[in-house]
Amino acid sequence: MRIRLSVAFVGSTLISYSVQAQSATGFNQTVTPVLNKTCTPCHNDRSAAGGLNLGLFTVPTSTTDQRDGWERIIQKVRNGEMPPKGVPRSAPELDGMMKFIEGEFARADKNVKPDPGRVTAKRLNRNEYSNTIRDLLAIDFRAEKDFPTDDSGYGFDNIGDVLTISPILMEKYLTAAERIAARAIGADPMPKPLEAEYSKKNSNIRRLDRSNVEASHRIDFDGEYVVRFGFPGERASDAKPVDMGFWMDGKLLRTIKVETRPSGLVYFNPYSEEEIRIDLPEGDHVFRAGFINDEFVKKLDDKEAFSDKKNKFIGMISFLGPHASKGEKPSRKKILICDPKTGDVCAEKIIAELAHKAYRRPVTKADTAPLMKFYRMAKTEGQTAEQGIQLAIQAMLVSPHFLFRIEHDAKPTDATAVHKITDVELATRLSYFLWSSTPDDELLRLAEAGKLRAAVPVQIKRMMADERASALASNFAGQWLEIRNLDSIKPDPQKFPAWSPELRDAMKAETRMFFEYMLRENRPMGEFIDAKFTFLNERLAKHYEINGVEGPEFRRVELTNDQRGGILSHGSVLAVSSYPTRTSPVIRGKYILQNILGTPPPPPPPDVPLLNEEEVGTAASLRKQMEKHRTNAVCASCHDKMDVLGFGLENYDAIGKWRAKDGKFDLDVSGTFPNGKSFATPAEMRTLLKEDTPMFVRCITEKMLTYSLGRGLERYDKRTIDEIVAKLSKSNYPFQSLILEIVDSLPFQMRRGELITSEQKVKAKEIAQR
Amino acid sequence: MITPKALPRRTFLRGLGAAIALPVLDAMAPAFASQLPGKAPVRMGFVYVPNGMDIRNWTLDYEGKLQGLSRIMAPLEPFKEDMIVFGNLTHNNGRALLDGAGDHGRCCGSYLTGVQPKKTAVDIHCGISCDQIVANQIGNQTRFPSLELGMEDGRQAGDCDSGYSCAYTNNLAWRSETQALPPILDPRALFERLFGVDAGLTPEQKSRRNKFRRSILDFVTDDTKKLEGNLGPTDKRKLDEYLSSIREIERQLERAEKDNAQIDPHMAKPYGIPADFAEHFKLMTDMLTVAMQADLSRVFTFLVTREGTSRSYRELGIPDGHHPLTHHRNEPALMEKVSQINTYHVKQFAGWVEKLKSIKEGNSSLLDNSMIVYGAGLTDGNRHNHEDLPTVMVGKGGNYFKTGRRVVVRRETPMSNLFLSMMDRMGVHAEHFGDSTGPVNGLNLG
Repeated sequence: MRIRLSVAFVGSTLISYSVQAQSATGFNQTVTPVLNKTCTPCHNDRSAAGGLNLGLFTVPTSTTDQRDGWERIIQKVRNGEMPPKGVPRSAPELDGMMKFIEGEFARADKNVKPDPGRVTAKRLNRNEYSNTIRDLLAIDFRAEKDFPTDDSGYGFDNIGDVLTISPILMEKYLTAAERIAARAIGADPMPKPLEAEYSKKNSNIRRLDRSNVEASHRIDFDGEYVVRFGFPGERASDAKPVDMGFWMDGKLLRTIKVETRPSGLVYFNPYSEEEIRIDLPEGDHVFRAGFINDEFVKKLDDKEAFSDKKNKFIGMISFLGPHASKGEKPSRKKILICDPKTGDVCAEKIIAELAHKAYRRPVTKADTAPLMKFYRMAKTEGQTAEQGIQLAIQAMLVSPHFLFRIEHDAKPTDATAVHKITDVELATRLSYFLWSSTPDDELLRLAEAGKLRAAVPVQIKRMMADERASALASNFAGQWLEIRNLDSIKPDPQKFPAWSPELRDAMKAETRMFFEYMLRENRPMGEFIDAKFTFLNERLAKHYEINGVEGPEFRRVELTNDQRGGILSHGSVLAVSSYPTRTSPVIRGKYILQNILGTPPPPPPPDVPLLNEEEVGTAASLRKQMEKHRTNAVCASCHDKMDVLGFGLENYDAIGKWRAKDGKFDLDVSGTFPNGKSFATPAEMRTLLKEDTPMFVRCITEKMLTYSLGRGLERYDKRTIDEIVAKLSKSNYPFQSLILEIVDSLPFQMRRGELITSEQKVKAKEIAQR
Repeated sequence: MITPKALPRRTFLRGLGAAIALPVLDAMAPAFASQLPGKAPVRMGFVYVPNGMDIRNWTLDYEGKLQGLSRIMAPLEPFKEDMIVFGNLTHNNGRALLDGAGDHGRCCGSYLTGVQPKKTAVDIHCGISCDQIVANQIGNQTRFPSLELGMEDGRQAGDCDSGYSCAYTNNLAWRSETQALPPILDPRALFERLFGVDAGLTPEQKSRRNKFRRSILDFVTDDTKKLEGNLGPTDKRKLDEYLSSIREIERQLERAEKDNAQIDPHMAKPYGIPADFAEHFKLMTDMLTVAMQADLSRVFTFLVTREGTSRSYRELGIPDGHHPLTHHRNEPALMEKVSQINTYHVKQFAGWVEKLKSIKEGNSSLLDNSMIVYGAGLTDGNRHNHEDLPTVMVGKGGNYFKTGRRVVVRRETPMSNLFLSMMDRMGVHAEHFGDSTGPVNGLNLG
C-alpha cells in the first residue's frame, strides 16, 4: 500500500513514501560523503565561503525545497569552478552526486503539474515594426536603419523581458509615426525634384563584376523618379541587345533592353543612355543595375572587358525626383476604403478599420473616440479630412496597443490560474512567430469568429506558403545560425582578397534559401547536417569550385563531391565562426556545441593564453599549437570536445573556401569523438554528427520554442521539449511538423498569472503610490 | 548599422548632400558663440575605451607634477597642464566576486554604476549610473538631460560575455537599475537629434507639429494608464518604462519650445556611418562640442567601442581583432599592436581635447569648464584585472581641479570615489555612490 503525501511546490506534488525513503538512502550514500569531504569544510554556518552555507543542503528533502540552490551548485561543479584547486576531490564521486541529484530532479518534474509559463508583454522589435508597418499600411519603412539596436536574450532579439523602451526610442517612435502617416496618406506637398548621379567620375559607384554595378542612395520622399543609366563603350557590330535588370535592396524592380552595337554616330567616347520612370519608397537603399545572361563579356579578357572600344557596360546611374506618382499609392488604396471628403461617417469607418488591424483585436467606441478627436483636431487647425486621418494614424502608431503585444489574464497575479490564451491572442502569436508581422485579415477573421484553433494546421500551411514566412529564415535562422553577424565581420583583405559584399550576400542567400526550402518542403531535419544539395549563384559556386552555375540568380544545386554538404559547409556559417585573419577551430567547435548539439561549453576562465598568430602557418601548423594549448589540464577539459569538431572543419578557410593545406602545411582534419568513433574528413564527421540527429533536433526545438514564445525556457518547459522530440522521432523529424508541434504545445496555447515574489510586491506598492 | 557599402561621406556631399543640406544650414540663425549669459556651466563627460590597455605603456612611474608622459598618453602631451592622471583607482565590482567568468560584461556594466551587474541574459539589473544621477538633478536646465554616444553597433546574434546580457556591453549609461540608455552611433541620427529634423519647417508648422505631438503623448499616456490596470507586475514594469520615456519626451518638447533659437552647427548633415574610425570619431565629437558649447546638455557618455570588440584597425596595418589581440600571451609583437590601438584611441581623443581648448568661454575655455574622464574598465586586457584602472581626467571642471599632475590614491580606492567627487562638482551632493567610501580628497585648487 502506498501512502501519498503532498509536498508544497507550484501546484501540488505527490511523491510516494517508498520512493522518498529510497531517495533518502541514495542521498546519504552518494551526496553526504561528498559534501562532508569536499564542500562543507568551507561552506558551513561559520565561514560560509562565498556567502554559501550548505547547512540547508545536507538533508534529502533539499533536492526539492532548495532546488534552485542545488542547480547552481551542480552548474558550478560541472563547469569546474568548484571545488577549487587544493580541495580533496574525487571525480567519480562528484559525478555520482550530480547524477543522483539530477535523477531526483527528473523524478520530481514528472510529478509536477504542467506549467505553460508566462510571456511578458513585449514591444515590437525593429524587424517586427517594419514588417507590421508594411502589412498594415503598405509602406516600406526600415526601422533597423533608424531605431537603436534591440538587445537580445537567449540568443534572440524578441524576448519580452529584455526589450526596453528608452527616451531615444520613444523619440524615434514619434518621428517614425509622423513620417509613416504622412507617407501613407501622401497629402503633404512634394519637395522640388533633385538629381543625384552615381558614376565612376564621382567615385561613388561600385562595379561588382563585368556586368553589374551598385550604388547606395537615399530616397528622401516617396514618389516617381526618373532613373537614368549611362553606358560608356560599344560592342562588336553584330552584338545583340542585352536585358538589363534594376534591383533595389536585392529585389528586381524592372528589366529593359539595352542596345550594345555601335550607334553609327561618330563619338570620341562612345556613350549611350536609357531611362525609366519608377516609383521608389523613402529610405536608404542599395540599387544595382546589371546585364542579365550577358554572354558577350564572357569571351573578353580582363583588359577588353574594361575597354570602351571592346565592351559596353553600365557606367552611371542617376536619380531625378520626386515627381507625383501616376497611379494611386498602394497605401491609399488600402486605407481609404471610402472618400473622407464625404464626411465624418466615412472618417470614422476608416479609423475604426485601421485601429482594428493596428491593435490586432476588435475595437470599441472607447478605442475609436480618442482617435476621432485627432481627426477633428486637425480639421480645426484648418487641415483637410485626409490630413485628419493622417493625424489619427500617427496617434495609433505610438499607442501601447500597437507597439506592445499584451496578453491578458483574469487573475494576473495568481500563478495557479492557468488558462488558454484567446483566439485573437493566438492569431497574434502565430503571425509574429511565422511572419514577424501582424495577423492578416483571414487570421483575425477566424480568430474573432472563434474558429482559429480548429483551423490552425490549415492556417500554418497557408502561412508557410506565403512569402512573409521568409521572416522565419531571416530572424530565426539569422540569429540561431548567427548569419546576421556576417554584416559585421571583416576578413582581412590581404589574406582573403576574394571577400566582397557580393560574396557575403550570396552566402546569406544560400543559407536563407536552404532554410526556407527545408521548411516549405517539410524536409527531415537531419538534412541540416548532411544535405547533398544547396542553393548557389555563379559567384558562390565559383567560391565553392563548383562548375556549371552561371549568372546572379540562385538555384538548387546537387552536391556531387564530398567537399560540401549540410549547413556546416555553408560559407556563411564558416565565416561567422572565424577570426578576421584565420580560422578558429575553437570558435567553430563552440559553434557546433552551442548551435547544433545544444551543449554549450562553459565560458573560458580569464587570463587564458591565446594562440600566437604570427607562428600559424610558418613555424608549426595550427593544430600543433592547439595541442600544446591543451596540455594544460584546465583547458583540456573543454577543448578536447570543442577542438575535435573545430579541426574537422579545417578544410575550410576563414571565408569558407576549400583548402588542402594550412599555409604550407598539410592539414590533419581527423578526430575521435568522446564515444570513440573516428573520422578522417569533414564528410565523415558529418556522417558521425548525423547520428546525433536527436540531439540536434532537441537543440533546434529549444531554440525555436524560445523564439516562438519570446521568452527563455524554464525547467517546466522540458516536458514540452521531450514530447515534441519524441513525437517527431516517429517520422524522421520533418521540419514543418516542428512548427505545428510548437504551435500545438502547452506554452504556446496557454499562459498563467505571475508568480509574485515579496520583492515585487514592495515594488508594486511603490508604483501604486506614485 | 555599419554597412560596408556606405559611401564615403564626402563623396556623397559632393553628389547630392551639399546641394540640399548646406543652404538650409546657412539659413539658420547666426552662431551662438558666447551667447551664454553669466558664468559658463560645468560639463561632465566620460569617454570609455574597451579591453583594457597595454598597461606597460600607459602607467607613469611618478607622482605629482606631470613630466614626461607614457607612450600611449603621448598624444595628450600638449594638454599636460589641463589634466590629472590617476593611479590606483579600482572597480571592485568589476571583479568576479564569485560570479565567475565575464570580466568584459561586468567591467562595462559596473563602470559608471559602481555596482556589480547581475549575471543574466534576461532580467538585467545594474545600478543608476553617475551621469544619470546628475542628469536627473540638473538635466532640466538643458534641452537634453544627457547625451549618449557610441561608435560600434551591438552584436546582432549570439551571447555577449559568459552569461552577461549584451545590455551591459552595449551601453554605459543606466537610467534605472533595469534600463540602459543605448548610445547613438550614426552621425546623422546624432545630428538630427541635436539640431532637429525639421530645419525646413516654418515656425507655424513647427508649433502646430508640437501641439499635435503633445496631444498624442497625452492620449498615449491615458491609454497606457488604463491598460496597466489589469496587468501583472512585470508587464506593468514594461509599460512604466514606456510612460517614463513619454514624460522625458514631453519635457524635451517643453524645453525646445522655450528655447526656440536655432543652432548652427557649422557643418553639413552627415550621411551614414563613415568607415574610417578617425573620421567617425571626429564627426561625433564635433557635434558633441557644438552641443556642449550651446549648452544643449551638460552630461555625456561616449562608448568608443564595445568591451570584447573584435574590431580591426586596418588604418594602422592591424588586421586582427582588438579583443583577440589583447590576449597576447606577453608576445611582444602582439603587445605592440595593442599599444598601437591604445595610442590611436588617445590620439583621437587628444584631437578633440585640442578643439575643446580652442573654444573660448569668457576668460577660460570650454575645456576649462569641463571635466572629462577618459578611461578603460579593465587595466590589462590580457589579465582582466580591475585595480589601478587607466584613468585620466581632462579639464578643470570650471577652475576647480588642480590639474597638471599625477594623483596616486591609496591602493584599492574605489573609482566610485572619483565619480562622487565629480557629481559633487556638478552640484549633486550625494553621500554615497556605488561602492564609494568618500570623495577623492585634494583634487581641487583649494
